[in-house]
Amino acid sequence: MSNNLSPVEKIKTKSDGLRGTLVQSLADHLTGAIREDDQSLIKHHGMYQQDDRDQREERAQKKLEWLYSFMIRLRLPGGFLTPSQWIDMHHIAGEHSTGVIKITTRQTVQLHGILKSHLKPTLKAFAAQRLDSIAACGDVNRNVICSAHPKESIIHEQVFSYADKISTMALPKTNAYYEIWLDREPLLKKEEEIDPLYQDRYLPRKFKIAIAIPPNNDVDVFTNDIGLIAIIEKDKLLGYNISIGGGLGTTHGNKETYPRLGTVIGFTDTEEKTLKAIYEIITTQRDFGNRGDRKQARLKYTIDKMGIDQFKSEVESRCGFKFEKERPYRFTDRKDHFGWQQNHEKKWYYTLFIENGRIADEKVAIKTALYEIALTGLANFRFTANQKLIISDIEEKNKKAIQDILEKYDLITHTEAASPIRRNAIACVAMNTCPLALAEGQRYLPTLVGKLEPLLEKYNLLQDPISIRMSGCPNGCGRPYVAEIGLVGTSYGHYNLHLGGDRLGLRLNKKTYEGINEEKIISILDPLLKKYSNERTKYASFGDFIHQNPALTEH
Amino acid sequence: MLSEGKLRTLNDFIEKTSKEELIWVNGYIAGLISSSMPKDSPAPVTNKKFTILYGTDTGNSKKLAIEFTAIGKKQGAKVKVSGMDTYNIEELAHEKNIIIIMSTHGDGDPPPSAKKFYDRLMSTNTKYSNLEYAVLALGDTSYPLFCKAGEDVHDKLSNLGAQALLPVQKCDIDYQSTASTWFQSYLNSFPTNDVEAIIAAPVTPKVIPGKKYYHGIVKAKINLNGRGSNKETNHIEIKTEEPILYEPGDALGITPKNKPELIEKIFSLAGIDSNLSVPYKGSAHTLKELFTKRLNITYLKESQVQKYAEIAGQVIPKVRMDLHDLLRIYPLSKPYQFIELLPSLTEILPRLYSVCSSPQVHENEIHILVSKSTFEVDGEKRYGLCSDMLSDFKEGTSLEFYIHKNKSFRLPSQDTDIIMIGPGTGMAPMRSFIEDRDASGATGRNWLFFGEQHFTSDFFYQSEIQQFVSTGILHAVDLAWSRDQNEKIYVQDRIKDKGKELYDWIKNGAHILISGSRSPMSEDVEKAMIDVIYAHSGKSAPESEAYWNELKEAGIYKADVY
Repeated sequence: MSNNLSPVEKIKTKSDGLRGTLVQSLADHLTGAIREDDQSLIKHHGMYQQDDRDQREERAQKKLEWLYSFMIRLRLPGGFLTPSQWIDMHHIAGEHSTGVIKITTRQTVQLHGILKSHLKPTLKAFAAQRLDSIAACGDVNRNVICSAHPKESIIHEQVFSYADKISTMALPKTNAYYEIWLDREPLLKKEEEIDPLYQDRYLPRKFKIAIAIPPNNDVDVFTNDIGLIAIIEKDKLLGYNISIGGGLGTTHGNKETYPRLGTVIGFTDTEEKTLKAIYEIITTQRDFGNRGDRKQARLKYTIDKMGIDQFKSEVESRCGFKFEKERPYRFTDRKDHFGWQQNHEKKWYYTLFIENGRIADEKVAIKTALYEIALTGLANFRFTANQKLIISDIEEKNKKAIQDILEKYDLITHTEAASPIRRNAIACVAMNTCPLALAEGQRYLPTLVGKLEPLLEKYNLLQDPISIRMSGCPNGCGRPYVAEIGLVGTSYGHYNLHLGGDRLGLRLNKKTYEGINEEKIISILDPLLKKYSNERTKYASFGDFIHQNPALTEH
Repeated sequence: MLSEGKLRTLNDFIEKTSKEELIWVNGYIAGLISSSMPKDSPAPVTNKKFTILYGTDTGNSKKLAIEFTAIGKKQGAKVKVSGMDTYNIEELAHEKNIIIIMSTHGDGDPPPSAKKFYDRLMSTNTKYSNLEYAVLALGDTSYPLFCKAGEDVHDKLSNLGAQALLPVQKCDIDYQSTASTWFQSYLNSFPTNDVEAIIAAPVTPKVIPGKKYYHGIVKAKINLNGRGSNKETNHIEIKTEEPILYEPGDALGITPKNKPELIEKIFSLAGIDSNLSVPYKGSAHTLKELFTKRLNITYLKESQVQKYAEIAGQVIPKVRMDLHDLLRIYPLSKPYQFIELLPSLTEILPRLYSVCSSPQVHENEIHILVSKSTFEVDGEKRYGLCSDMLSDFKEGTSLEFYIHKNKSFRLPSQDTDIIMIGPGTGMAPMRSFIEDRDASGATGRNWLFFGEQHFTSDFFYQSEIQQFVSTGILHAVDLAWSRDQNEKIYVQDRIKDKGKELYDWIKNGAHILISGSRSPMSEDVEKAMIDVIYAHSGKSAPESEAYWNELKEAGIYKADVY
């Protein structure tokens, strides 16, 4: 183990249960920012300090500090909200943030542009709806995601409940969130804060868990540190295959970093064993993960350094049982089911197209429409891991009322008119708020797709749901490394072009061109799409076509 | 002073010695001398004077810059500190010593906040042969182009003829101890005793009687209000060729001119030739000259409007109006009626603006803070004549101004605490006071109260104030934002919140300086002060009021309100 701990490690261990000097930071009225060490800690409370990067230079001239604000991300295991929660979130977004509600790639929502003085009122308002942002970011288990659509399986509800169970099991024990943000009293017995899972050092790096219900890999299960694949036979949940070591983040210019897909290490049958296995995978990463270099700290590097077999046996010895042999499963899809769908209970579900997950009143009044739907109290809301929304659990007799609202705001046409490539596209937030962004994400991908659509039309591919994903930096929030066309920002207006991922999220793509602009991106894709169109019948997808013809992208 | 022999030996030695070695020797000898001096001798006068420029991404460079500034000042150095994003690269030609603290971003690039500075430096050919510099480069060894941006700056400055006092120091993510050691050796590279420092010590300018006009050029005009503000408040920097004799607390006087387009419209509405020569106050002037520089034509008084009505033979309501609107709405029937108006018009009065700079900090420069004042006439937005003119200034505009002395609004002695209350443009003199106390090394404590509408858009000089707090010049700052919450909060509310501490300061002899609007602001502040005294002194209500009046009479409470 390296004795040379990274600065963040020291901040965590001396933070007194993630408290640091957050109280003092909040009280400093001279600045809209918080102290530097607290910026690492506040992530564990589900927030990031950001600033409006578009205004940096202008404000420096004006002798004003950068326009600091905060992003709050909710902890929403499985991504479910009741209508009453939706109504409050709608108002909170209006009063305290930019107003835009952003659906993330991890089945939750985040609000941007919240000033420091508005943080406590925002979190108190969420708390009144039993919502929190604990551990939504930071070196802890993040939001647990699960195949979103209840029609995936009769036992969807049963599988879905694991998201909450896992999230609760892996919550930090500190009372800091309640004291700092909600003004609650400290616990009478400090021992209640002792945290056997995270201790005082938390994890070496972020940790992500997903649950997939085959045959749909909508959650991109192999991009997670832990992936559970539900094994279902005759409508009965037998247990889960467990995949470990997925993770996408890389760093430009650092050859020691790479994306990795998870490796399935076995099967567990009972709930008790599954939860225990997850718990001990986390403790093993806690104890063996690299704490000196944050760029080598994710579980994927720990596993590759230890070797998968040794890692597995360490987990097994901590569990006190061995994993069973993995069970057969098959993914045939990775998608959201747009439009109206019905599940086995005859309840109705409408999956709405929301470009890059931005819920706002822009081209169409999505935000107003959803508020109106929430006011009827007739539907719940479920987020997908692809930044979309399912208006859900609607009784047959209420379907028309919802349909009427959707039509009134033109949302049915909006969803149906979007091309398959646009519907499947994913972009992270990036500019102007994400401090990590090197290039645009959600503000630009719709434009680029708009330039690709005519090409697809020309080559008769407009109905082909090619996956295109964009991230403003190499950290991979938009999961660009498992797309058929992946774009990773390198500098403003420039991207690395990754090609050749499969359509199901089972194969990583490859970086084919570095730091190219839009013109170059299109001029590269044009002939490739043309050739693919001519040979369409021979390949399962554009990604497979590229993968099986490596010469095409050699240069 | 040295005998010829000693001098020769010394010169021989110097010739054979590298610059770095000389710096070491210099420090060594200085050390020897200082350790042999009696312990109770005053701290040696130093001429350490340098500017720290930082280019920061995550805030580490800035943190170090602030830390170095504080250490430097504690050791008697004169230190200026500035982010590269706010630093005008043309200033570099006037610097003698600079420290560059620079982080590297992404692929060997400068951090975005330093990009403009970096790009301009890289493309310049300006020679800096009088400049001495030292670069501290921050980076992360996990990137291949470790500390590249800092190295680039170092090499470029060297190519431009500047002298590196120390080799470039590269730091990894655990930069703290390396950086501190490096800074100490930087400080040690200065001679510890120098005659020049005594000459360079601040001299209070002598006041010349009579009104002296200065010719100045607008060096910079910055609207300090951020996006979304209801206000436009311009910070204007004026540069002169000669030293400007002023002190903090003074005001700058300027006589506005009427806009040429407006004058032309007036002449055209009146149907009169602008070159017509007319007598005015004993001499002849063309109408154009009179109306451009001398006569006020905006917002005429009711009596002037009624005089106009009389001449025009029309009925006009008892209101204030612009001459242009009168001519437009109530036209004159004959051009000569326009000449008849002249005696009723008054001269344009000079406007006074509190100075917001200290002459100790900005050589041959004076800064003012001007709020673009607006008022409505018949639902139309109008601007005050002078604030409008000043707000229209562009860089390079030339202007004439004079200094209006304000002897009753002065800083107290160096060791006296001050409490500054300057909401809105009342902030202007407070900035000059703070700058001055910083530059002169005053030992009294400084407490600032400021207020405006919104924290994010209306916090005048926020980044400077933050720096004054982190370098220990400002001891307390209390802020009141009137429109950031449901209830209105003003500076007088903050004064009451801090009553106990405030009364302790007053009891301890602190002076109180206030600037801004007379009514209601300064009246409310005075009431709040009396409340504070009553609440914390044990005096009765009448005694508290009497005590406050004593403070006023003794000149301990000083106001420049308008």
